[in-house]
Parts: sequence; C-alpha cells; structure tokens
Amino acid sequence: MIYVLYSIVSIICVYTARHYWFTLNRLFGFQRHPYIDIDTADWPPVTVLVAAHNEEKVIANILSALMTVKYPGDKMLVVPVNDRSTDRTREIVDEFVERFPGRIRPFHRVTGKGGKAAALKDAMEMVETEVILIFDADYIPGSGLIKQLAAPFFDPEVGGVMGRVVPLNCGTNLLTRLLDLERSGGYQVDQQARMNLLLVPQHGGTVAGVRLSALREIGGWNDRTLTEDTDLTYRLLLHGWKTVYQNRSECYEEVPETWQVRIKQIMRWAKGHNQAMVTYGLQLLFGQHRATLRERLDGALLLGVYIMAPFTMVGWVLALAVFYQGVAPLHGVLAILGVTAYATVGNMAAFFEIAAAVRLDGNCKRIRLLPFLILGFTVSIFAVSWAAFSQVKDALTGAEFHWDKTERYRKAAS
Amino acid sequence: MNPYLAVAALVVVCGVVFLLPLIPALAELKRQEDGLPLKVIQEHAGEIRYFADGFRNYIKTLEPTLQECLASGRTAKGTMPDGAEYLVLGRSEEALSLPLQQRDEICPMVLATGGDLILPSATTFSRDIYAGGGLVGGIENRYRAILGDKDVQLGRGSRVMRWVHAVGEFRADEGCRLYGRISSDSAIRLRAGCSFLRLNAPQIETGSAAPTTDQGNRSLSRPLNSPRMLYDHDFQIGAGKEFAGNLVVRGTLRVGAGARVWGSVKSSAELIIERDVLVSGSLISATRMRIGQGCTIFGPVIAERELEMEAGTRCGSPERPTTVSAPSIKSEEGVAVFGTLWAREHGQVVEKI
Repeated sequence: MIYVLYSIVSIICVYTARHYWFTLNRLFGFQRHPYIDIDTADWPPVTVLVAAHNEEKVIANILSALMTVKYPGDKMLVVPVNDRSTDRTREIVDEFVERFPGRIRPFHRVTGKGGKAAALKDAMEMVETEVILIFDADYIPGSGLIKQLAAPFFDPEVGGVMGRVVPLNCGTNLLTRLLDLERSGGYQVDQQARMNLLLVPQHGGTVAGVRLSALREIGGWNDRTLTEDTDLTYRLLLHGWKTVYQNRSECYEEVPETWQVRIKQIMRWAKGHNQAMVTYGLQLLFGQHRATLRERLDGALLLGVYIMAPFTMVGWVLALAVFYQGVAPLHGVLAILGVTAYATVGNMAAFFEIAAAVRLDGNCKRIRLLPFLILGFTVSIFAVSWAAFSQVKDALTGAEFHWDKTERYRKAAS
Repeated sequence: MNPYLAVAALVVVCGVVFLLPLIPALAELKRQEDGLPLKVIQEHAGEIRYFADGFRNYIKTLEPTLQECLASGRTAKGTMPDGAEYLVLGRSEEALSLPLQQRDEICPMVLATGGDLILPSATTFSRDIYAGGGLVGGIENRYRAILGDKDVQLGRGSRVMRWVHAVGEFRADEGCRLYGRISSDSAIRLRAGCSFLRLNAPQIETGSAAPTTDQGNRSLSRPLNSPRMLYDHDFQIGAGKEFAGNLVVRGTLRVGAGARVWGSVKSSAELIIERDVLVSGSLISATRMRIGQGCTIFGPVIAERELEMEAGTRCGSPERPTTVSAPSIKSEEGVAVFGTLWAREHGQVVEKI
C-alpha cells in the first residue's frame, strides 16, 4: 500500500513541477508566436465549419461576425453544420444564406449519429479547401481571426491550429468568474508554454483549424470519441503533424453559468480525454512514430491530466489508511519534511500558474478571487473522479456514451 | 482554562485565518471591479495603418484651416479639441524659418499643411505631422509620427518613434532608425544603415539597386495541399535540382544554387538557401535562415530567430504580396519584398552581409 502511495505522490510531484516549469517559461522564457506576423499573403481558400445543434440563441451572432471578418470574400466559405436541430437554427441559417448569397452554404443534417465529431464527419462532403476552420456556434470571431488562424498553414508541418478562448459572460456569477480564471491559466500559460517549449499544444476543436490533407491522412474525424479535439491532437501528433497554438488569436465564448452544466461539461471532457489516454497512451510513449521524445513525454502527461483526479483521491484514502495503520512513510522525518515542502510549494503550483496568467493578461484585480478556486477544484476533482468511475462501469456493462449539449445563456438575436 | 472554551477559541481562530484571504475575494465578487471580459482585439486586428487612420480622423477638424492657409499662404495657430496645440503652415518652406530656426529645437505642436512641407534639420518633432502634399525632412531629425498624402522623404540619420504613413513613396536616407510602423500605399525605399521594425507597402526595396530578376508569374502559384515529405535529419536539395512537394526537415536544410522548389519548405533547424533558388511556396525556419543572392520566394518567409537576405532576393510579387518576418532581420541592399517586412526586435539594411 505504501508503495502505491509513493507512486501517486511521485506522479503528483511531476505534475507540480510541470506547472512551475510552464509558468516560469511564460514569465521569463522565449515566447514563440511565429505565424502571427503574417498579415500580407496570397491567402488560401478556407472553409469555416460552424457546429450547431439547437443554437437559435447564438447562431445569428457568429454568422454576422463571420460575414464581417477581414478575409477575401471569394476565398472563404462558411458552412453552418446544423446537426439535427429542432429549434429555429435552420430557419436562421437559411435567412443568412439568402442575405449573403454564395458566401454561406448550409449543411442541414437531419439524421445520423449524435455528437459534434459525427456531424463534422458528415459535413466533410461540403469541404473542398485545404484549410478548414472550426467554430462552435456560441463563439464570436473578431475581424482578424480568420487570417490569424489560416496563417500557420503556410508552414507545411502544421496540421492543426488552436486559438485562444476568452469567456464573454465572465462577470455573471462566481462560477463564470472562476472559469474565466481557469481559462486564463489554461491558455495564457499552459498552451502557450507548450508552444514555446515545442511540446504538445492541444487542439480545442473550436477557434481552431485543421489541414484537409492531414485530416485525410489520419483517417478523418473520429465519431466514436466524446472529445474529437483531443483525439485529433494525438492522431496528428502520431503522424508527424504539428498542432500550433496562437495565443493572440482570441475569440469570445460562453462558459457555463450553473454548476450542473459545468459538471456535465467537465465530465464529458474527462471521459473523452481518458478515452484518448487508453487509445493512444502506450502507442505515444513506446510506439514507432514521428513524435519527438519531449512530445512523447508531454503528450503522455497531457493525456493523464483527468485521470489524476481519481488518483489524487485514492492517494488521500491511502494516506489516511497508512496513518491509521501507524506506518511511518520514509522513516517519518523525511515524510514530514516532504509534506511540509509540498504544502508550501506544491499546493501553490496551480494557483501560481493562474495568478501568472491573469498578470500576463493585465487584469490584476481578479487575482483576488484566487482563493475561491479551491471551490472550483473541489467540484472538479469529484466530478472528474465520478466520470472516470462511471466510464469504467460503462465499459464493463457495455453502456454507450451519450452527448450532452452545453446550455446557452445568451438571448436570441432578433 | 475551560477545555470547551479552548476548543471553541481554536476553531474560531482557525476559521478567521481560513477566511482572511477570502475577504478581498468576497469584496471583488461583490463589487465586480475587474469583472469585464478580457479585452479581445476586435477592431483593428493589427492593421498597420490603424494609427495613421486615427490621426487622419483627428485632423479632420483642421480641414477648413488647412485650405484657408494654403490659399492665403498664411500661418495659423490654435488648439485641438483635446488641448494639443497646432500650427498650420501655408507655404511649404515656412517650417524652415518659422518658428524653428535653432539646432536641436523641439517642435511641441501638431504640424500640418495642406500642401508640400519641407522640414529643417536636427529638430525633434514631438507631435504628429500632417502634409497634404509631399514631405521632405532634414537630416538627423526625430519624429513622433508623420502622415503624408504624397511622397515622404526622411533625411540622413533621422528617427521615427511611432509611425509613418505615406500615400505616395516613403524614402529613408542612410542611417535612419525607424522604430515603429512604416507604411506606404506605393513603395518604401530604405538606404544602407537604416534600421526598421515593421514595414508594409506594395513594394519595399532596400538600397538603390532593386533586383532585376523577375521569375514571378501567377502560374507559379502552388496550392497548400502538395504532398508532404518529412525527413527526421539533415537534408539537402542539390544545386540546379527540381523538387516538387512540401518539404519538412527536422534538421538543417540546404537548398543548392539554382534549385527550384515547387512547394513550401520547413526546417526545424538552420535553413540555408544558396544563390538563384526559386521557391514557389513558403520558407519556414524554426531557428536561422539565410537566403542567398538572386533568390525568388513567393510565399511567406518566417524565421523564428534570425533572417539574412542577400542582394537580388525577391519575396512575393506585385500580384502575390507576402510577409517576411523574423525577430532579427539583416538585409543587404538590393532586396525587394512585396507586402510586409517585419522585424520583431531589430531589422537592419546593410551594404554587405
């Protein structure tokens, strides 16, 4: 039992060190933004896929925004992927098609497998361009975003591109404010540090792009996964394609405003991520493919982020058990020093990362909310652990995953 | 001491210690002092002419005065709505004598004229300048920003701190330091010794001798979806050879003299392009790139650390403008870039690398 506990503590320490490494890199290291300066070019034709399932509240906003972006009109086709919507989504999309002839070609999907990956897979019949950009319907792209996301594809090694997501409704309540802080840490520090350090920036499946030939090479969209973005990241990596992160390609999104919706969202992410871990983990670490050593190690750690929650809980239980058994780990004194050191430094790692991110964003006063993150982390650790548990249970009973659409809060555009 | 009281005191003290950090958090949650979404740049999207366009709007209120002074040849002084002082000149050479006749003098006013403008030497213009006609600057001047509706020419050793936009040509003589954004709707020409950061124009030339080779035509355009070839180690394309497809090399890549690459090229290490090479797509290096004499590159050129370009190199074409970017750029005289030339940290025009 004690050795299992040692193993868990060691893995947690690796993640702690990783938090610090990323944060210090963002604060003091060389920052890579190689493609952001491409402002003049013979821009490639792009197809913008807008994934929409019952999105009457938000679909008009994104279509309006896309119609005003600075990208050659004859080189950009918008394809709203209306996935079996039962609300006014179809009607709104068709109104836009009439208003902007030739610039929007809708894909109305009325039957088929549920889920974003399945819808995108079917919509590929509409795609003829090498560069594909993907947005969820609740996003609002700025005028320069399409060029920024298309620019990295001039690099022939780039298979995927990911932009930065910024919560628009961050001031709504405590949850949205906490999610705003988490997003800052995740993008401003985590993703950019991975970009800087030539590691594995993660494709997020929205505010993102993928190269058609790379997608074909890896076998297209995988509709058997709950998180097509994580799946895409790893399949691109295994085939020698790079996913790049563009920190300055920012786009507004809506974050969940209720804990119930948030828990559902993070449970889906956890399940999808764990699914990718099982599918690609060993192959990534030990298989014969084009990923570099640092990509293998970082990719494996990235795959493990959600499984760390149940591991941590097991660690807590083991620590208590060891304590009540009267076992003195590492001869007592070393254990006390270790626990003290971790309490001082280790527990602060994630907070340090988020504080640094907020500082880099220049929004210093919201750092005051940092102590409340304990609440967010507590909810996440239980939700993610429950997701892992139910995933194992589903695997044993043969139950299928089902897709929960994230609720929208914006008022429908008139 | 009563043990119950002691336990209660301990609980209270622990509770207070636990709650202390939450006081500013609760205050922020209630007051929402920093509760707005992160400001995402939606408007200008990095547009190089953003400040010039803003200044053009700013001086619109001066339009009647500009016309009046131009017609009468007189000078007018006044204050802009934001409190900045302005001086409108009626004759092009007026700035040479009035009111800036001493060496190293600072002109603290917005300077504007509806026609041509000739500026004295060794003067610091600490506010923006507008010329409705051409602008010719003296030597060793310091400018904050210039908007010229025709050609703008800066004298030797001048400095620009923020931006210049010329509707006509922009020319900078030897040793100018251009710290901000320089743009032109026509062309930019920089002499040896000039340093720069961000330039944008249909045609940018360094030095007096523009490259004469023109291998460009639209038929060279290659789609991004050419087949990709990936090599994990160093690679070389031999002199005079032809290579079709997108090439990704995870070591050093050398492209031999006179080679033709029909696609894009990426190197994770150094990328060396020898003389007279043609690349129909983009050139990307994760570290350092050196482009030899007389090369023609049609797509974007990106080096993540350093870029050196030798004389006769041509990037982009009038029909297919492009971007050349690196933190540090050294360009010999006789290089032409059609579109954007962007040195993040330092760009320099030199006679010979």
